[in-house]
Amino acid sequence: MQRDVVTVEKFYTANETPLDLNLVAGANGLKRIIREPTVNRPGLALAGFTRYFASKRVQVIGNAESHFLKSLPAGQRAARYKALFGHKIPCFVFSRQHRPDKLFLKLAEEANIPIFTSSLITMKFINLATLSLEMMFAPRGTELGSMVDILGVGVIIRGESGIGKSESVLALIERGYSLVADDVTKVTLVDGRDVMGTSSDLTRDHMEVRGIGIVNVAAMFGVRSIRHEKKVDLIVTLKLWDQVPDVDRLGMEDQYVRILGVDVTHVTIPVRPGRDLARLIEVAAFQAKLKASGYNPASELNQRLIAKMTGDKTL
Amino acid sequence: MSTARKHGESHSISKEVIVQNKLGIHARPSAMFVKTASRFECDIFVAKDGEEVNGKSIMGLMMLAAGPGCKLLVRAEGVDALKAIEELESLLRRKFDED
Repeated sequence: MQRDVVTVEKFYTANETPLDLNLVAGANGLKRIIREPTVNRPGLALAGFTRYFASKRVQVIGNAESHFLKSLPAGQRAARYKALFGHKIPCFVFSRQHRPDKLFLKLAEEANIPIFTSSLITMKFINLATLSLEMMFAPRGTELGSMVDILGVGVIIRGESGIGKSESVLALIERGYSLVADDVTKVTLVDGRDVMGTSSDLTRDHMEVRGIGIVNVAAMFGVRSIRHEKKVDLIVTLKLWDQVPDVDRLGMEDQYVRILGVDVTHVTIPVRPGRDLARLIEVAAFQAKLKASGYNPASELNQRLIAKMTGDKTL
Repeated sequence: MSTARKHGESHSISKEVIVQNKLGIHARPSAMFVKTASRFECDIFVAKDGEEVNGKSIMGLMMLAAGPGCKLLVRAEGVDALKAIEELESLLRRKFDED
């Protein structure tokens, strides 16, 4: 599991358009690191109370802060600015198109702290920026395997190379399901509980088919055959028949694999020549969907059987 | 394997066993039975009250609805029939490691 280092530059590049960010000063400080995935309104710090100041966060100056600063006598304002810039702050954002005054800009340049303006109202900015930062700070990793969205069930298909992953994926696409990632799936932990899968930006919509080469899935099968990201609901491992000593014949108890600390349902499908793997993976996905809705066919059948054997007529 | 089949002697063995575990042969015991049976080369059949099913089929075994106290006739045909019957009998005697 890894966590990316989030620099101000990264935050800026990802959010320049959605947050309408304009860099107005401190460009030299773009490599500064944002250490906490949220924003802070430095009202109390501006008022002179700098204990507990959450200086590691993106600092947002909204309407109230802006007008408060204007209300201060020039000397006091300068002193507060100096105190503020004494902290290691990643960056400042002035929302609602407020402009920092000349002194603020000058101090920011000297301290190499980037200053942005944004046209968004403060509340909206804080919401969007927090969501975006959460995503940037989310634990992430890569899973070896292709990912397909089968009727709303996100399935990562794993298995040794040459076992038939790509063929299965192609067959699933032909059946109308969509490709999320080929061969390598990037996973991100969202809200500490859902694992989201996506492909790398570079290889998105493409897959490699042995003997044919690189295929553009969207161009070949249409736009419905691709999907940008999807929650991972099921892992299917394809394994050669003789390498599966203990095939689960009932499916009564779920098996799991841990991805980014979250348990994801796991099934192993034994592979033998002539098996329609795509069909099996499809059924595994439907089964997972049924089970997620609280229905376990094996348990239900078993209860009926036990009732019959023990003479209980109520079931 | 194929040489064993050629040279080995084919047996047909039947053995009557009694279901001893509390819940009878429900899903889990069926799975255990089938898993054990599938390790052998010989054909295995299980009969209850004259109804015979394939001993390597979970659905077949479950269909028998063999509750506690039921008499089952296990039949094995093939080179390793003897060993198969022994192991399956032991499985039933162990009550499928359940009770």
